[in-house]
Amino acid sequence: MNLFEFCHGIIHWLVDLVNNLWYWLGDFLPWYFGDLFTAIGDFAASEGHLLFMTVLVESVVIIVVALINVLNFLWIFRKLSGRILDFYGPYYVGYRIGGWLQNLADGVKLFTKEIITPTKADRLGFLLAPVIFVGSSVTILAVIPLSANFGLSTTSEPGEYVSAGALFALAAFSIAPFAILLAGWSSNNKYTLIGGMRSAAQMMSYEIPLLLAAASVFLLAGSFNFVDIVDAQHDMWFFIPLFIGFVVFLICLIAEVEIIPFDLPEAEAELVEGWTTEYGGMRFGLFYMTTAVRSYAGGALATAFFLGGWQGPWFVPDEIWFLIKAYIVYTVFMWLTWSVPRVRIDQMLVFGWRRLLPLAVLNLLIAAALKSGGWL
Amino acid sequence: MTWEMFVFLFLAASALMSALWVISAKEIVHSVIGMATCFIAIACLFIMLNAEFVAIVQLLVYVGAVTIVILFGIMLTKREIMESERK
Repeated sequence: MNLFEFCHGIIHWLVDLVNNLWYWLGDFLPWYFGDLFTAIGDFAASEGHLLFMTVLVESVVIIVVALINVLNFLWIFRKLSGRILDFYGPYYVGYRIGGWLQNLADGVKLFTKEIITPTKADRLGFLLAPVIFVGSSVTILAVIPLSANFGLSTTSEPGEYVSAGALFALAAFSIAPFAILLAGWSSNNKYTLIGGMRSAAQMMSYEIPLLLAAASVFLLAGSFNFVDIVDAQHDMWFFIPLFIGFVVFLICLIAEVEIIPFDLPEAEAELVEGWTTEYGGMRFGLFYMTTAVRSYAGGALATAFFLGGWQGPWFVPDEIWFLIKAYIVYTVFMWLTWSVPRVRIDQMLVFGWRRLLPLAVLNLLIAAALKSGGWL
Repeated sequence: MTWEMFVFLFLAASALMSALWVISAKEIVHSVIGMATCFIAIACLFIMLNAEFVAIVQLLVYVGAVTIVILFGIMLTKREIMESERK
């Protein structure tokens, strides 16, 4: 049974239940109300409405599963930083499960704080920027399938997902610099504006190698669909022939999610907190959470593109394989984060434009050679 | 009126309204927000025409490049607020 059938069953059962009650209620009313009741009930039971509600429920299920993983990621972030930097990390809140509840406690604390909008801020941009940032990042999660049976689809056929889903995920990834620059500008603060400018420069320059590395995968797989890309890696995972592309992709992902070697936009020693300086309360909490959401999405994209997706020995379910690989990618990110110092802005730009871009083009050439040589 | 017609009219109206907002907004960054809204509405229109690839490329190329427009807007134009603060 796949996710579509599961959600369709639930919606069908719910609509039947409500409709029974609804028609029963309609019988007591005068005929003109009764007709209206019948029309509404028939609309609710129509196939189009059921399909629409099913897709809604599917996306909610997928996003909730992804957000639970994001909580795990935040926990790993804190625990691993503790292990690497030689302290314990969170352990008090929920100490039987290794301090896992600390993030929930922080969320509750942030919810109770006052939300402040600066007087001189540009209100429209200040209020809209978190919405765009969080919205575009959570949208990525909806199109990432965890296996051939767990993804957003409108048919009960396994693997019939959003067409060009991989490209859509990358497109949603690329909306974030707009929101960040908007947040930085509309806070009306020098630090936030500098942070926003840095973020725009960084994300724009690292998106090109990212997309080129992804393009080599699309070229080898011959499709933009997650299922086709993963199926194409049945014999050999793409990180072996496209090793350069894999490394370039990982580095660009680190730059895109702004964690430490590339966290210039929020360099806390120079820019207070970068573009999030003026945001307080749960708005800051949302930014913090969204960074982890983007890390999860990045790990999942690297898994699907280069590490064989949900393929693995049979004794572990497909979804768990996918998550294990995504967790490993994230752990490597964290390992890098707590081991290397922050780069300077000129080093960051030189590295992006003079090293990663030629390497990504070279990787694309290798992919084209493999494809034309008949491999795959 | 079918649902498709309704969604089409909504998207077309939002594209047109945001396009009007682009030329009428006082603040240049506001007009860039309007521009992004317009592009996203047009991408949704492409999806309604069963052209998903064009829609995604519209998002990737145009909405991504709106950042550059903001950069130019900030760096190459004068802001009135700054001048009024100086007085």
